[in-house]
Amino acid sequence: MRHLILLLFLFSAQVAKAQELYVFTEPASNMSAKSIGIRANNYLMFNNSTKKVNYHLVPEIMWGLSKKIMLHAESFLSNRNNRFVAEGAGVYIKYRFYSEDEVHSHFRMALYGRYSFNSSDIHQQAIDLNGHNSGYETGLITTKLVNKMALSATASFMHATDNGKEKFVFANPNRNALGYTASVGKLMLPKEYKGYKQTNLNLMLEILGQVNLASGKVFLDMAPSVQLIFLSRMRFDAGYRIPLVKDLGRTTPGGFLVRLEYNIFNAY
Amino acid sequence: MKQFIIALLVLISFSAGAQVKDVTIQASGLTCSMCSNAIFKALQKLDFVDKVDPDIKTSSFVVSFKPNADINFDKLKAKVEDAGFFVANFTITFKFDALAIANDQHVNVGNTVFHFLNVKDGVLSGEKKIRLLDKGFVSAKEFRKNSSFTKMACYHTGTEKGQRIFHVTI
Repeated sequence: MRHLILLLFLFSAQVAKAQELYVFTEPASNMSAKSIGIRANNYLMFNNSTKKVNYHLVPEIMWGLSKKIMLHAESFLSNRNNRFVAEGAGVYIKYRFYSEDEVHSHFRMALYGRYSFNSSDIHQQAIDLNGHNSGYETGLITTKLVNKMALSATASFMHATDNGKEKFVFANPNRNALGYTASVGKLMLPKEYKGYKQTNLNLMLEILGQVNLASGKVFLDMAPSVQLIFLSRMRFDAGYRIPLVKDLGRTTPGGFLVRLEYNIFNAY
Repeated sequence: MKQFIIALLVLISFSAGAQVKDVTIQASGLTCSMCSNAIFKALQKLDFVDKVDPDIKTSSFVVSFKPNADINFDKLKAKVEDAGFFVANFTITFKFDALAIANDQHVNVGNTVFHFLNVKDGVLSGEKKIRLLDKGFVSAKEFRKNSSFTKMACYHTGTEKGQRIFHVTI
């Protein structure tokens, strides 16, 4: 754990400029008003007991309603039970309520809410509203961007309901959990901005955790990622989630996230 | 009341060519080119804007206008904010025609009112760069700092008796 924190500090101390467009989490910043984003999120997660790779596809649409509010809608498809099926859908809303900006820096805070529905069977105590559980989540995001660094942290409360006919198989108090994340990002390329057509390369390092409020069990993951931005409008993200603490059970804790994103500014 | 004032602000504009040559807007809260692109595309959408010349490194945009168009500074600021950011610096290249100005005084230029702050009394002629100091056109910190330049209420409201007042300095 100590080595991890040291790594984080070393990483952040070297940055020239940084990005807050994280791969595994959302920053407190909002999309442009009247812009639309489309994402294809591909999760390739390793099942250590069956030795299979589970593939989850989460197509997502993002909408900047106003300068402070954005809305996402997503659907969940996976091949977890040997057939590739649609398992559910979810909505996410973010409200940026505080922003203090200077040139090349900002401090922002946002509140978010998520509601998901999923019909798959439940076989892990850890709650994941992005492809495993039905339920809701609400949280706070704070992001600090300065010329040399972008840091972000989130804290959330989540509650799992039954997955339709599939019951939550653990005792009721286990339906509640707290989530917490910490992220840092760095712009590697270009060394000097000359125009919008330049490809940007960003590196991110994120810590993702959850504690079950009944059992007190914890999971903690480290997720490094690489991000390419093309034509200042398209994003390609590749992240790798490494479980560090696996006390709070998950069937497929580790694996890849590969995302394609396209943004339309001033869509209407 | 706020909606009434906003409606009024939208109506106040300059004629291009005659007086305003261009405007340089520096945005705050961003470093990346995709963020800059969002502001760039938003500014281009305004019907009175002819060309936007971005400088990603400094987060600045030089905006030039269509001939004889009605230029609205408040709409330019609103576009930056809709993109998710704020204005840190708003500098207007303005052609003055022997305009007599005095510190902390209102002066009419056509049907627009300027309130010059932190300037020496004198006469302005030719092309000059003036900087807008109104709320939302500088950082919140700078707006608070500059409030020592005047005791007039229009500094905080941006209006006086329903007339939009632009607070500027050279």
